[in-house]
Amino acid sequence: MVNLSHQSILAAGRYRDMSLAGVKPEVLKGLHRFMLRLRRCEEALAQEYHPADEMRCPVHFCIGQEAVPAALSELLTKDDYLFSHHRSHGYYLAKGAPMPAMFAELYGKETGANGGRAGSQDISYPAANFHSGAILAGATAVATGAALAFQMKGESRVTVAGFGESATDEGIFWETVSYAALRKLPIVFVCENNNYSVFSPLLKRQAKDNISERVATFGMTSTALFGNDVPLVYKTLQSAIADARAGRGPSFVEAYTCRWSGHYGPASDDLVGYRSEEELRIWKENCPIALLEEAMVAKGLLAQDQSAALLKEIDAEIAECFRFAKGSAFPKPAEWTAMNYASSSPAADRLLTDIDVEAFDHDQAVVQAKGY
Amino acid sequence: MIAPHAARSAKPAPAVIQLSYAEAIAQGLAQAMELSPEVLLIGQLIDYSPGVFGTTTGLAERFGKNRVLDFPVAESAMTAAGMGAALAGMRPVLIHHRLDFMLYSMDALVNWISLWRFKSNGESRVPLTIRAIVGKGWGQGPQHSKSLHAWFAHLPGLKVAMPATAFDAKGLLLESIFGEDPVMIIEHRSLFGLKDRVPDVPYRVRFGQAAIRRPGSDITLVGAGVMVPFALRVAAQLAAQNVDAEVIDLRTVSPLDSETVCKSVEKTKRVAVLDPTWASFGMAAEVIARVAERHGRRLRADPVRITHPDSHTPMSSALEAVYYPNEDDVVKKLRALVA
Repeated sequence: MVNLSHQSILAAGRYRDMSLAGVKPEVLKGLHRFMLRLRRCEEALAQEYHPADEMRCPVHFCIGQEAVPAALSELLTKDDYLFSHHRSHGYYLAKGAPMPAMFAELYGKETGANGGRAGSQDISYPAANFHSGAILAGATAVATGAALAFQMKGESRVTVAGFGESATDEGIFWETVSYAALRKLPIVFVCENNNYSVFSPLLKRQAKDNISERVATFGMTSTALFGNDVPLVYKTLQSAIADARAGRGPSFVEAYTCRWSGHYGPASDDLVGYRSEEELRIWKENCPIALLEEAMVAKGLLAQDQSAALLKEIDAEIAECFRFAKGSAFPKPAEWTAMNYASSSPAADRLLTDIDVEAFDHDQAVVQAKGY
Repeated sequence: MIAPHAARSAKPAPAVIQLSYAEAIAQGLAQAMELSPEVLLIGQLIDYSPGVFGTTTGLAERFGKNRVLDFPVAESAMTAAGMGAALAGMRPVLIHHRLDFMLYSMDALVNWISLWRFKSNGESRVPLTIRAIVGKGWGQGPQHSKSLHAWFAHLPGLKVAMPATAFDAKGLLLESIFGEDPVMIIEHRSLFGLKDRVPDVPYRVRFGQAAIRRPGSDITLVGAGVMVPFALRVAAQLAAQNVDAEVIDLRTVSPLDSETVCKSVEKTKRVAVLDPTWASFGMAAEVIARVAERHGRRLRADPVRITHPDSHTPMSSALEAVYYPNEDDVVKKLRALVA
């Protein structure tokens, strides 16, 4: 699409450009299964969120934004790093982190991914090199530091930073793309442009809906695409990640998409009047899962009853996750200092010399003599 | 020189050399980089020959510009990137010529670095050292002179050191680099020329262990950083007036060694805290609160804060002279407490 923007996407209506060419059938099946699992997981969490009120933390549901995490799930290795924003569940699952620990984290349980310290918007799974945070663009710069370390160590690992277009309102984002381009760092920036910072549309916050054009001027490959076309997202990210891995430098991918739910919580916030029913209708017509299913069915890659069988399997997994989370214990109160500071220093123990520090405390004649 | 103390310790006495505060930092950085390829330095202009006031001189030539990394004037991204590099297995040292510039880093420090261990339930760690230099005098003015140690010490998860001697500057730096938590080291520029006896081995000075720089029995003077030599000079003047002051160097503001301070005040029953910044909501108030919580009713005199006025720093030398604490005035004020 030329001159892609939220406006042009809505004007085009039903998306008709999906092509499965260049993506292996098993990858397509993986993308489909991932999106279905993520959608089902979010729907189940949303349904359970109220009135039970057992998940006592802000949850930013990602229904409608499944394509980017799905593509990443097929492209990243365990050693790669992934940093996500507050709409984190898709990214968490994309990195292969366990779903039961995610549910338990939302329930604030000891068995949660972070023992109930973080919740949905701050969840991480360090063992899978997955991190997230809710203060927008800060994570893009942290991700860039990880990429700097990989480059310095001569490793072939890459970092992916996922964020929303609101992160580009913040100055640190531009410092970050500038530095990543300067150093040709192994990082891929994925901007899920869903047009809204909570209620506020992009064109109320920035003069132009052309973030990818602006990033290109910093000196990196930059692509804007229709973000609900998952094979296209996959192919674009595949090439970006391959470039990063091979030392050809960073890329920026802007995936235009839409969140179906409100900014946070399961309920719609459309009553605020910040977006039209028509807008949401067009985006729902362009559901990333439905678009892929239609294309796969047309190519004979997905039988009509296959989705139903998949759903049964996924629903059983989700039910088990709820049982696990609800059945787990709450964290016990612990020593606050120990939660915030390391209790040992193995590297210092190994590398540094212990001397009689006190011997140097008393003799301060030299210090006293010096005037300022 | 250290022979008299050798009997107290089984630890071998290392060779000792005379180094300035700046040279001790440079030696600490060089030894850290020799000890581990994970150590890298990041900062503006750090790969040019002057180094950062002599603290990085020669390191780029020795370890390469890949490990002594000049960074754009993007302090915000720099600090966050330091954290990312730490998450990916490095032990970065970030260097700021003036603390004031690193305030662009507050999001990285407050929202990411300090809470990363906590929010990962102890599974992530950020071994990151940030050196921030504070100017004083010669018209540094309001944007080159702020010692904001209290801001940083307010944050859980972040340690704050304020070394007063070359010995501590090196030992605390190495302890930070090879520790597992993020650390802010506040270095007062006016200390950089100060010479001290420094062991040539890479040694550690632990956090949360204050030093008694001068034992005394009449009043406890608590200081950190540039206020330690100030307090020692005040103590010398007080001694001439028959007041025996004990001088405690906190070394680290967070964690804060309340034990050593309280033990001293238990003996002297009087306390003054010398804090090189504004009075309100600061380190001096914190130290006095901790003393009061323990010994409030046993004090023989009201506690005293020796600080800068609650005002931004003036440029003019005439105003600087009244802005910064004056030794003679402080001596007079403290002498009155013991009368």
